[in-house]
Amino acid sequence: MRYFIKNGSIIDPARRVATIGNVLVEDGKVVQVVDLADLALAFEPLDDRTEVINARGAVIAPGFLDLHAHLREPGGEQKETIETATKAAAAGGFTTLCAMPDTTPPVDCAAVARQIREIARRRGVVRVEPVGAITIGREGKTLTEMAELVEAGCVAFSDEGNAVADAAVMRNALAYSAMLDVPLMAHCEDVRLTRGWAMHEGAVSTRLGLPGSPAAAEEVMIARDIALAEITGAHLHICHVSTAGGVALIRAARARGVHVTAEVTPHHLTLTDRWVLGWLEMHQPADVRPARRGSRDRYDAGETGLGLPAWLKPALLPPYHSSTRVSPPLRTEEDVEALIEGLRDGTIDAIATDHAPQTLVEKECEYRLAAPGISGFETALGLALTLVHRGKLDLVDLVARLTEGPAGVLGRAPATLRPGSPADIVVFDPDSPWIVDPAKFLSKGRNTPLAGQQLKGQVMLTMCRGQIIFRRGNFGVGTGALQQASRLDGFLGADNEE
Amino acid sequence: MSTGAGVVPAQAYDRRRHVLDLDDFSAEEIGEILETSVSMKEVLGRAIKQVPTLRGKTIVNLFFEDSTRTRISFELAGKALSANVVNFTARGSSVEKGESLIDTVRTLQALGADMLVMRHSESGAPYLVAQHFHGSVINAGDGRHAHPTQALLDLFTVYQRLGRIEGLKVVIVGDILHSRVARSNLWGFTRMGAQVVLCAPQTLIGPESFWKATWPELTISSNLDESLTGADVVMALRLQKERMEGGLLPSLREYSRFFALTAERVALAGPQCLVMHPGPMNEGVEIMPDVATSAQSVIEEQVANGVAVRMALLYRLAGE
Amino acid sequence: MSEKQILAADDIRRAVTRIAHEIAERNEGVANVALVGIRRRGVPLAARIAAVLAEIEQVRVPVGILDITLYRDDLGLRGPAPVVHATAIPFDITGRTVILVDDVLYTGRTVRAALDALTDLGRPSRIQLAVLVDRGHRELPIRADFVGKNVPTARDERITTRLHEVDGGEDGVFIVRQD
Repeated sequence: MRYFIKNGSIIDPARRVATIGNVLVEDGKVVQVVDLADLALAFEPLDDRTEVINARGAVIAPGFLDLHAHLREPGGEQKETIETATKAAAAGGFTTLCAMPDTTPPVDCAAVARQIREIARRRGVVRVEPVGAITIGREGKTLTEMAELVEAGCVAFSDEGNAVADAAVMRNALAYSAMLDVPLMAHCEDVRLTRGWAMHEGAVSTRLGLPGSPAAAEEVMIARDIALAEITGAHLHICHVSTAGGVALIRAARARGVHVTAEVTPHHLTLTDRWVLGWLEMHQPADVRPARRGSRDRYDAGETGLGLPAWLKPALLPPYHSSTRVSPPLRTEEDVEALIEGLRDGTIDAIATDHAPQTLVEKECEYRLAAPGISGFETALGLALTLVHRGKLDLVDLVARLTEGPAGVLGRAPATLRPGSPADIVVFDPDSPWIVDPAKFLSKGRNTPLAGQQLKGQVMLTMCRGQIIFRRGNFGVGTGALQQASRLDGFLGADNEE
Repeated sequence: MSTGAGVVPAQAYDRRRHVLDLDDFSAEEIGEILETSVSMKEVLGRAIKQVPTLRGKTIVNLFFEDSTRTRISFELAGKALSANVVNFTARGSSVEKGESLIDTVRTLQALGADMLVMRHSESGAPYLVAQHFHGSVINAGDGRHAHPTQALLDLFTVYQRLGRIEGLKVVIVGDILHSRVARSNLWGFTRMGAQVVLCAPQTLIGPESFWKATWPELTISSNLDESLTGADVVMALRLQKERMEGGLLPSLREYSRFFALTAERVALAGPQCLVMHPGPMNEGVEIMPDVATSAQSVIEEQVANGVAVRMALLYRLAGE
Repeated sequence: MSEKQILAADDIRRAVTRIAHEIAERNEGVANVALVGIRRRGVPLAARIAAVLAEIEQVRVPVGILDITLYRDDLGLRGPAPVVHATAIPFDITGRTVILVDDVLYTGRTVRAALDALTDLGRPSRIQLAVLVDRGHRELPIRADFVGKNVPTARDERITTRLHEVDGGEDGVFIVRQD
């Protein structure tokens, strides 16, 4: 089967290309890419074995690579399976996933890594690359057989969910992994500072009386791990950086040549600890409430309704809604701004989902006792695009942080739309508004604070190895005018003004 | 799960159905409750301490944490209004018990409870319950978060004694960080126009900016002697012994030396200053026995007023 | 909305005086009588009756205030719970003849609640009822012992009483019709 994806806005960060054009796919490979300049001359291969996909108004980009996902299988199949996770990932535009090792059993021996790859090969629809555990049982004591794990297909190491508390163990892990030329993905948290935590420590936790996880708990660990990476020369990758201080530490380390990379999640780029306040957010504490009934007018649906606000509002959530509990916790607006700046200036290489599906039972309980995590695949792009819509990031950079950036962390050539490269392709509409409905998720994990929120932009079609693995409705069917002004122009224009 | 998507805040708060915190009470509403409490106090002073207002209503005291005083206070309040009051005491968290909090609430719902008075060790638990219970939920203390009825009875006690709240200087001293009483009183007293001073070592209160963000007019101090100057009310909070094990304090002795209410310290505020304590007291730790029983102490009045204030709240919720 | 005056200030004064005389006559003096005004407008009426009695009988009759909110049978049916005001009856009602005073007698439910409230406070030897206006439409077997004026009304009409102690301005009783 051949696919002719036409009239889309091609964004291919690896080739530094952003233009309107057509992509021809055959036998799992990109066969031909026709950019704007040649478009008039482009032939349209109309024959029975070619499906023409009209991508007018949409963006055509290389498939996204997620450095950080919890697929839960083996051992947590009630939360998610590799099959459901990869389908959900496809719906989110991802064609490659790095599977975190906190399964049961954990990926601390080659057999588990092989098992995951085997299940993914049989039942998964996207590429799944296991991440090995740093220590046996993720207990932070004894190093795993890293070389053998790499042989078995592990692309990185992490005790994700747990920080390696013992600095000597971490030093050895870094030194050993340096030999293998794979990154060590560090979950940076000093657990002695976060004992019993429920959310970010700050004004909101103080008001709500919830035990806090201070930003310093992340920062001291990032600082320690950077120092250890410096003396070992290893490649340190900071998982889900969430604090302004963490970004500053990484930026400084990179500037002096330490091999440190970093990722950030869509939710840490967009949501803040005020989401835990839910609709209390609408309640400004300083307000004076004159009228008796007026005191509750602030809950007026007019302000909190589904109309697209200038910026996402958490007002649809009740206070203390456990869907906002995530590790690391949602931080403050200052942190969000610093993370966005880090993403812009390249201090942060990648956007990674930290997709962490949980069952209803684990979430529907007292806030602090709820399992942390957000089911992130299917809202990742929509949430990240809010940065583009707010003019904080240009669309090409966003695509780069989902493709080229994460590929660089894994030390591989970026996915690209170039003749001969594997046809891992995502087509997404950056503009179309939709309302998040977890009931429609392909993931088993319905845990998201975004239920009922309107986002702009969603994946229309995902292709992995030349096969269509996700298609929204009957997207692309039927023909349209050959040349259409793309919405992409608007985004490029906005960027040029800055 | 309840994603919240279907929950329209406007409906949830259109009328007062729950008492979860004092943050959504206007000064006017608090004033009305205080006024109604006066009448309830009169009822409690009668030979027949009962009125038929809530006849046929069922109130469940759902206590996941031991609290004999608060529970009895609510029980007396409910019974004085002729409600059927049932006590449900479950130790430990719902997760440890195996039954989820929501299941417990659904069961009570099915059994016909009209109101839940709930005490829980986790901050925010009443908000979860309010999402799943069709009747009214009254927070009788959740974790470190809120204890609205305690704050209302404190306001009532001060109001009855001093005739006003606006413009008073109220000093709250002790383990502010872990205190739901402090947080609710902060809402109540600031909304009624009092000037609140929180006094504690930093380990028991945290960074000042965290508090000022929500209560900008607040004063925070670690010098009790200084704070007491000109105070109209001083409230000592209970110091849990666990705080020392957590390394938050070097010793009880040192805490007591610098932060306990002694007769000499209270004298700094003057003879008009009311001494309060939400109980139970650690006499000799945060408050000296002679201060607790002095003429300035209104600690027993607080307890007595608790029933009247809780009656006023139960009445209000039933009426809407 | 139209408003028609049925009692002017002078009419009210005369009605109060007449009621006071009837009370004294029916009870053969007022030695054992106490007046209890039902909040809100029964309260000034009770005070006025007491003032007349003080004049004609040379006796200061004790006057109390009764708030019947907690005894209502329609809590929750009439919107937000009203603030409960204090009941102040600074004398023992046991063994006395208690005369409940209210401005308008209508369904009888307020009086029913007042009777419950009174019996919780003690055991009067007798309870009598004095009202300024009886507008009919009783829902309970209750009748007034002393009536200032009987006013036939339709159910959709409203009786409004204004007393200067509560409302300021001129006294008066009005029928209000929704048009």
